[in-house]
Amino acid sequence: MKVLLVEDDRRQLMPLQTVLCQAGHTVDGVSDGETAQWLLSERDYDLLILDWMLPHVSGVQLCEHYRASGKTAPVLMITAKDTTLDKVTGLDAGADDYIVKPIDIVEFMARVRALGRRSPICQGDSLSLHNLYLHLDMLTVERQGKVSPLSSREFQLLEYFMRHPQQVLTRDQIEQAVWEWGSEIESNAITVLVRKLRKRLQVVGAAAWVETIYGMGYRLSPPDKTDI
Amino acid sequence: MFNRSRRNLACWFTLSMGSILVLFAVTTYYLRAEDKLEATDRLLYRKTRLMAASVEYELSEGKPQVDLERVPVLGSGTLPLGTELAYVRWYSSGAQLKRFFGEPPSQPLEISSGFRTVRSSDRSSEPLSDNTARNNAEKVWLRQLTLPVQEGNELIGYLQVATPLSDIRADLRQFQLALTLTMLVTLVLIGLTGWYLGGVAMQPIKQTYNQLQRFTADASHELRSPLSASLTNAQVALMLAAECPQIQPSLQNIIDSTQSMNVLVNNLLMLARYKGGLTPDLLKPVNLNLLVSESAASYQAQFDAQKIRFIICIPEQSIEVQADSDLLKQAVDNLLSNACKYTEEGETVWLRLGAYANWATVQVVDMGMGISKKDLIHIFDRFYRTDTGRVRGGDGFGLGLSIVEQVVEAHGGRVWATSVEHKGSTFQIELPIRSRLQS
Repeated sequence: MKVLLVEDDRRQLMPLQTVLCQAGHTVDGVSDGETAQWLLSERDYDLLILDWMLPHVSGVQLCEHYRASGKTAPVLMITAKDTTLDKVTGLDAGADDYIVKPIDIVEFMARVRALGRRSPICQGDSLSLHNLYLHLDMLTVERQGKVSPLSSREFQLLEYFMRHPQQVLTRDQIEQAVWEWGSEIESNAITVLVRKLRKRLQVVGAAAWVETIYGMGYRLSPPDKTDI
Repeated sequence: MFNRSRRNLACWFTLSMGSILVLFAVTTYYLRAEDKLEATDRLLYRKTRLMAASVEYELSEGKPQVDLERVPVLGSGTLPLGTELAYVRWYSSGAQLKRFFGEPPSQPLEISSGFRTVRSSDRSSEPLSDNTARNNAEKVWLRQLTLPVQEGNELIGYLQVATPLSDIRADLRQFQLALTLTMLVTLVLIGLTGWYLGGVAMQPIKQTYNQLQRFTADASHELRSPLSASLTNAQVALMLAAECPQIQPSLQNIIDSTQSMNVLVNNLLMLARYKGGLTPDLLKPVNLNLLVSESAASYQAQFDAQKIRFIICIPEQSIEVQADSDLLKQAVDNLLSNACKYTEEGETVWLRLGAYANWATVQVVDMGMGISKKDLIHIFDRFYRTDTGRVRGGDGFGLGLSIVEQVVEAHGGRVWATSVEHKGSTFQIELPIRSRLQS
């Protein structure tokens, strides 16, 4: 998933970012509300993780703005405030879940997984498209009993494809979804990544699912039922 | 909460100032009454002396003769003395009534010269009182003076004169009315002043309270953020260090210490936050049967693991109190956790819920090691721990019972403990049951 993580304490931001990346998510980690607000207007995210206390724009304000703009991705609020009133304020601002500091990483990841499951194509801890399954917890792809492991970026690319099936995804969109904001990528990085993913899908016999649309981008389209 | 304290302050102020005022008014009234009576007495004495002076006494034929003809009022042709008199009586030296004017005496003269206040019995024959009609049925207070009259050294008789006190009484009644009205007005003024002063006095308390609230909110953030960073970093490091078993124990220690630090921070914040009563809007009706059985269920496994017999007695009748259920559950949990810690394998712990007319009780009884008399008086103190060596795990901070006490007191209840060393201890929480009508 594409995750925006906003936390003003870098000592807290770093390990969370690490563990989210390990779990195969693309994480944009920022430490102030203004940057977060700008990113939210520029890019799309599948999950927002916001600290309540942020310089300039608070997490609650970010959440309210985000919801007011009509976007629906789940929001997980991080806070040190633990009274019932605080929790109610956070949830009323549009947050879907609430985690109180100190953050226990096991609980944190469980909540992230729970929020990720809200997607309609989600079944338990895996995404599915026809008979192709992407296991979110193990970073593997499975089809007809055959399993192939994926690298972190391959996983993110396939997840992005599977969340937007049958859609032509431009190179720009892919870059935004798979690479963190601000990272400098090689000009042929996307081509290389798609080639790698095709190789992985070959193992489960689904290399042909990823189509190249010349001059536009790529598309994940499952073959007709008769082909399966 | 502040309004209640302010009201109390105003009440006490009014009460104390009011008492002083009442005392002052009563003294004033008494002094005035004394003063009036003294004036009356002086006047009465003067009149009586005047009358006594007009008694003519002569010895004729060897017998003493008393001539009262010239005595005012008593005499026949003399003018009355001007002011009203209830009666004038002349007794001989043998205490025999010889002549009287006005009301006849109901009983023979008691020879007690001097002033007395008496009540006349029958007012119908009272001709001199100006408010006879009004007082027809009532008895009237009189001031009576009995004066022995002497000629030379010889007692020739007694002159008894009485004057009604109705004037003084009317005057005093008026004074009393004035005093009462003034006092009522002053009391109202005192009450208002007390309310105002109470408000002024509450200001610094309110400020301190708000500061404390702000402090706990800030402290909660400032303490938890670094704790959170330590915990998360250590946990992530532990995940990344899967291939380096030699650093895993150190990381695990960091995680454990951070978590126990977190428990301490939570407990301290709780103690700071819920000091004093809870505001009524935080209290909701809580079913104690449910709350206690939930607590019991969460500790059942721990008791089983320690092979402690855990007996739960919850009555069928549902018991409801006004409470913050999270806080109350924490209190019950703390008692059970203590019972876990201090009870040995094979022994028994009881958890009992009971209800009386106005009180609900939650009782945790264990047959554990008990608490010595020396420790028993301190067990609710913060950070107080009995001999730590005996505590299983030894992970407590000595705040558990302080929290129980504070939570229970914040609900208007109380908690107490009894214990016999080596026999066991009993902890009892008592909570007021408020009927729905009151709440």
